Amino acid sequence: MGAVAAQATTEIRALAQILDELDYYNVLEITPDASASEVRAAYHRATRRFHPDGHRQIGDDMRPVLGRIAKRVAEAYSVLRDPRRRQVYDQQIRGDSARVRMPLVQAEAEAERQSRDARLGKTPNGRRYFVLAQADVARGDKVAAERNLRTALTFEPDNGVFKDLLGQLRGKR
Amino acid sequence: MATAIGIDLGTSNSCVAIARRGRVEVLENSYGEPISASVVHFGDDGTSLVGNQAKACAVQDPENTISAAKRLMGRYFFSEEVKKAKAVCSYKIVEGPNHSVRVKVREQALAVPEISALVLREMKEIADARLGQPVCQAVITVPAYFNDNQRQATRDAGRIAGLEVLRLLNEPTAAALAYGFGKGLAQRVAVYDLGGGTFDISILEIGSDVFEVLSTCGDTYLGGEDFDDRVIDLLAEEFQAQHQINLRKDRYALEKLKVAAESAKKALSADDETRIQIEGVAKTPEGAALSLERTLTRVEFAALVSDLIQRTFKVCDEALQQANLTVRDLDGVILVGGPTRLPLVREAVEQYFQREPKTDVDPDQVVAMGAAIHAAALVGEEQESRLLDVTPLSLRIGVAGGLAETIIERNTPVPIEQTSVFTTFKDFQQSVRIRVYQGESRRAEENELLGEFEFSGFKNARRGEVRIEVTFEIDTDGIVKVTARDPDTAQAASTQIHLSSGLSEEEIRGLIDKHHAPAAPSAAPGLETSGATLAAVASVAANPPALAGAPADPFDALNACAGEIEFDAEQLEAAANIPLEGPADSAFELDPAPLEIGAAAAPSGGGAGDAGEIELDGAGADDALDVLDEADLDSLAALSDDEAASAAEDSAPEATTQRRAAPAGGLFGSPDSDLSIFGDEDDEI
Ligand SMILES: Nc1ncnc2c1ncn2[C@@H]1O[C@H](COP(=O)(O)OP(=O)(O)O)[C@@H](O)[C@H]1O
Ligand SMILES: [Mg+2]
Repeated sequence: MGAVAAQATTEIRALAQILDELDYYNVLEITPDASASEVRAAYHRATRRFHPDGHRQIGDDMRPVLGRIAKRVAEAYSVLRDPRRRQVYDQQIRGDSARVRMPLVQAEAEAERQSRDARLGKTPNGRRYFVLAQADVARGDKVAAERNLRTALTFEPDNGVFKDLLGQLRGKR
Repeated sequence: MATAIGIDLGTSNSCVAIARRGRVEVLENSYGEPISASVVHFGDDGTSLVGNQAKACAVQDPENTISAAKRLMGRYFFSEEVKKAKAVCSYKIVEGPNHSVRVKVREQALAVPEISALVLREMKEIADARLGQPVCQAVITVPAYFNDNQRQATRDAGRIAGLEVLRLLNEPTAAALAYGFGKGLAQRVAVYDLGGGTFDISILEIGSDVFEVLSTCGDTYLGGEDFDDRVIDLLAEEFQAQHQINLRKDRYALEKLKVAAESAKKALSADDETRIQIEGVAKTPEGAALSLERTLTRVEFAALVSDLIQRTFKVCDEALQQANLTVRDLDGVILVGGPTRLPLVREAVEQYFQREPKTDVDPDQVVAMGAAIHAAALVGEEQESRLLDVTPLSLRIGVAGGLAETIIERNTPVPIEQTSVFTTFKDFQQSVRIRVYQGESRRAEENELLGEFEFSGFKNARRGEVRIEVTFEIDTDGIVKVTARDPDTAQAASTQIHLSSGLSEEEIRGLIDKHHAPAAPSAAPGLETSGATLAAVASVAANPPALAGAPADPFDALNACAGEIEFDAEQLEAAANIPLEGPADSAFELDPAPLEIGAAAAPSGGGAGDAGEIELDGAGADDALDVLDEADLDSLAALSDDEAASAAEDSAPEATTQRRAAPAGGLFGSPDSDLSIFGDEDDEI
């Protein structure tokens, strides 16, 4: 094994040892304020160093180690490249510094929940009456819809979506 | 010195190339043709012929001429694709073990990878002859949209052909590599690959030596052959109107129509109109020979196929959306595939992408060239490029009620790994069964089943107390591997899901021998274990019928009516997704309520509850699923039973919805608060 390969092996070993303690930013060696293009550049940089294809000469014992790093790099990237997932992740690591990984599906579900909240309301009761109002609209019962929307607004007075629908209903009548 | 080739194993045509001394070279067959038809003809003397000569046999000997076998690769016998193929194929397609597909030729039932192996072997032999030395390593390309079953089948085919498959490379990625290799580009490109039977689109970012796939989408039912079909329809209809003879019913006439339609289509790539002429295509009842003659113009042809071309752009929309880009963000479009030679296609592409497509790559050869470049890099003969690909389809796990939950989203970069934690559903449950799917539907049966396995041997405990960590991995070939582990005892079992090529490891070895190929180094899939105590405690069915104690045939359950779904659900209940690490209050969000469909034996609601389960009754279930999206379900969770039922009725009149209890507490392992989902509430509450 040449000096370069030996150096690479040492580097890979060292990284693998602490991998589970690194958050996604650490994994990609960027700061939490990195821009989207910095995230991408970091991903490319990391894969240049750690993609198994680049280490043909490496010992068989090191292959799984390298594989672990490569997979973590991809995982980090798949969260940080997506603004919605990244936002959720940022909240998570801020709240709980021990949590450095996030199931990707959780990231997606969480991101979806947030955008849904924005759409449908933040409180269970707000959502509840909003859904009922939508059902009323679908059925053509505008009076009931208005009543339900007004109830929904008592839980979330600032909800723009609720207000919009109410405005539309009033406009139609 | 190692010599590794790149092979584009196409539905219609295959091509082989090599990269050496800084040059990429397409290797021509003995007739001097750069591409060879992916057609195998089986002669009556037991020999087989591959390539354009084999294709020419289709007219006289359609039963023994196998074309487009790739369409059948990794497909289940009952799949739509196979049904479709059965309707149009001139050869006999029969069912093999494990619901696999076999092709019946000359009293032999051949597995599909076996046929593809003959094509691959031909490519290998072309290379052997051109290079003057035997080649044994190759990168083989696959459509980006291929699922795991199709990829496994392709790998099997490579092994049967006596090749060590260094990598399965996605075709569009290969094309981008051939286009951008060594140019130090910084570009965002779309690869538009319209082949014989499939359409693929990938969006890539090229940053000098890094080729990152941003998204990939495809349609496995769309290609040049569909264009031919439209022409055949036109000709057959006109002939029927004129002579009251249905040419589609006559196998020989149909083969002649196919040939004529394809050559007319190709001619329209160069000319404004073309003459179609088939002598003696049919006979009158009196025995007089009838001919078919007609001129087809570009305008007529355009009218026949423009909707098919427009369909490709729907897929492009999706790919751009997945990449969060618009056509304006792209720097170029690369065309791949025979049909992209049609001016009609080029113009449509130019219009959609608002730029002229690149013309400096050969649409028929670019994929093989990219494969060759990568092959050379993998054996150290060529400068390296990093190919950062994505998984084209979401990876899912089956859960209660016939649903499939996402574990890894589509377009996630590979290699990737995800671990989810599951638990048992019943007290002292002995085993869990894990079904793995690929696809974009929440309903399990609408996705491709990759396989299933059973995990057992964990501690004997009350439900919810056992933790089972399941790790899903997708490697750089896009191949899926699943590992289950009991973190308390560190017992583990892993399997490379391997089901639908229909070939067991043993069968593959048998075929390698049969075809006298030198055995390639084994990448033995199948049972792989770690931990000394494992064999005794874990049972993993990589290939269900082949292993003792394997679970029942998954499709018996899949095809089942309501009663059997209950059985199914009972089994799968054990696999309800339980992310133990998640915060309790978000449990419902993370684990969308399981839906039970067509529940004949639906028990009444669990009363109290804050819910986890909704049942949709009867025929309206389909609609209801569309109408009630997750957000609705979530909102409904806050309603009382009655309100929920009426709200659901309002939005989906044919469905009755019942709230069922599965409180978050239960999901997080306090079994006492977990209520029965399948009716025997007495012993469950
Ligand atoms: N010059 C051409 N003009 C139009 N279509 C063509 C031309 N050459 C080949 N084709 C069509 O291209 C299809 C095969 O494309 P190809 O890229 O080789 O497919 P695959 O990659 O699926 O094997 C066939 O349907 C064939 O008729
Ligand atoms: Mg192709």
